[in-house]
Amino acid sequence: MSATVLERLERLPRRNLTVLALKGVSTLVPGGWQNQTNPEELISDVLGSDDPELVQQVRARADELSRARHEGYRRALSLYDAVNRSQKAAGGLRVLANVAGALPLVKRLAVLTPASQTLQAVDLSLKVAAEMLAFTQVNGLPGDSFAAFGDSLREYTGEARVRMAALVCFDALLPLGDNALHRLDGLLGQVGSRELHQLPSYAGMASLLPGRGDAAHLSFVRRGVDQWLGWADGFVGDLGLSGQRAVRALETTIGPWHGGMEQLATFLDAFTDTYSHTGVQAVARRLVERAAAEI
Amino acid sequence: MSRSLRWGIGLLLIAGLLLGAFFFLPFRSWLPGGTVANIATREVVNGTLFNRLFPKPQTGELLVFTQEKRGFSQARLKQGAEVRALLSISDVASSPASRNKFIHTEERLQSWPLVDQGSQASALLVADRFQVKVIGQGSGLDAQQRHELLGAFDLAALAALSPEAVQAPAIAPGRQALPPGRQSPLRFPFPGLKRQAPQARIPQPAANRKPSIFNRANAALEPAA
Repeated sequence: MSATVLERLERLPRRNLTVLALKGVSTLVPGGWQNQTNPEELISDVLGSDDPELVQQVRARADELSRARHEGYRRALSLYDAVNRSQKAAGGLRVLANVAGALPLVKRLAVLTPASQTLQAVDLSLKVAAEMLAFTQVNGLPGDSFAAFGDSLREYTGEARVRMAALVCFDALLPLGDNALHRLDGLLGQVGSRELHQLPSYAGMASLLPGRGDAAHLSFVRRGVDQWLGWADGFVGDLGLSGQRAVRALETTIGPWHGGMEQLATFLDAFTDTYSHTGVQAVARRLVERAAAEI
Repeated sequence: MSRSLRWGIGLLLIAGLLLGAFFFLPFRSWLPGGTVANIATREVVNGTLFNRLFPKPQTGELLVFTQEKRGFSQARLKQGAEVRALLSISDVASSPASRNKFIHTEERLQSWPLVDQGSQASALLVADRFQVKVIGQGSGLDAQQRHELLGAFDLAALAALSPEAVQAPAIAPGRQALPPGRQSPLRFPFPGLKRQAPQARIPQPAANRKPSIFNRANAALEPAA
């Protein structure tokens, strides 16, 4: 048996590159972000009481809920994990390509590695699709409720906002430039099943996407992205996000960066797992909210 | 290769394939453990039915539904950007232990047993089947405000959702089935038998009766109210 959601929360790092990157991004979002990795603290925060017996009851109930496959909390986590694994693999390849590009003999390898903007766009939209699927798994709405997802994005608060800010900065603004959101639809239009299959996260997610075949999956992803874009445009405008600001915010925690934005995005892809880190925290919170209501 | 070795390898292959099929093919959903407390999902009331029973938000307030699962529905009560409370209705069929806390309480709200859990949570057990809970968030709510919120739920309609209330009596009252062998063959078109529309029976709480798992059987034997 794999770990329950709250065990996963306990095992999250307290201080590493991922946490520092998230801290940096959270300076852009009003309300800030706390790296919550203690299940007991989370439970007493939701419950508004730190009575050890109540906390213990909530914890037991939360573990029971996360062990039940029909409830979907763990499936949401496996979605985040699939996306995270592929992000690391793709990022690692690109870092290798950067290094190899400097060596004369293996220079030609660098040309082969996929780093084109189309692939980056597909990567981003698969992440958005994963976010939406995880949302439906956790909230228990039918798998294609696009409008409900769009509405709920407006309700994202606290760590969920930081998580979306990280997604917008690391996967859209840094690698694709400041007008990433306006270009995304055009970039997605060029995507065929060949590009889709080049991404490892697609293989991990294909069975969880509704519909059969690449075309159906792609249209699902594009509809999800449409909803997300409508919200993300306002989000970027409200907070005044841009690639430059993201770099400056990251420099406050990680240290000075002398490379280009695209390289920073590659570096973050390869060495941090912000997406699954905040994902575990978000799912754990929802799970505890339910467990607290059911004890 | 000796004959026994070939047999051994063959059997090993078959065993390996069977084990692999068991662990890697999607048979998991057929195994027990898929649902909470192993209670079949159809025995739990669907959360969709709970949504319309939540309190109507007052001016300046906003009710945002966050989770809707089999046997559970939850919403946030927001005032502006601040979350005031988590409101939820759950079916206790999958969490029988949550009933225990209501056994010793004397407090009643609209004659249903009421319990405070910690300083920010209040729970109400309706029809011995549904738990309604208000958990204060942010700056918090006092007990009075929480009880008012609990009272604002449509509790009568919630009680009517309980399967005991929905179930129609199997045999019309006054007509008893004879033991086998003494029954006379029925003639069409069933003279004297009038079909009655199944009446919803809403269980009313007796003020002196404490709800517990054991007197649910008695409740079923009581004459229709």
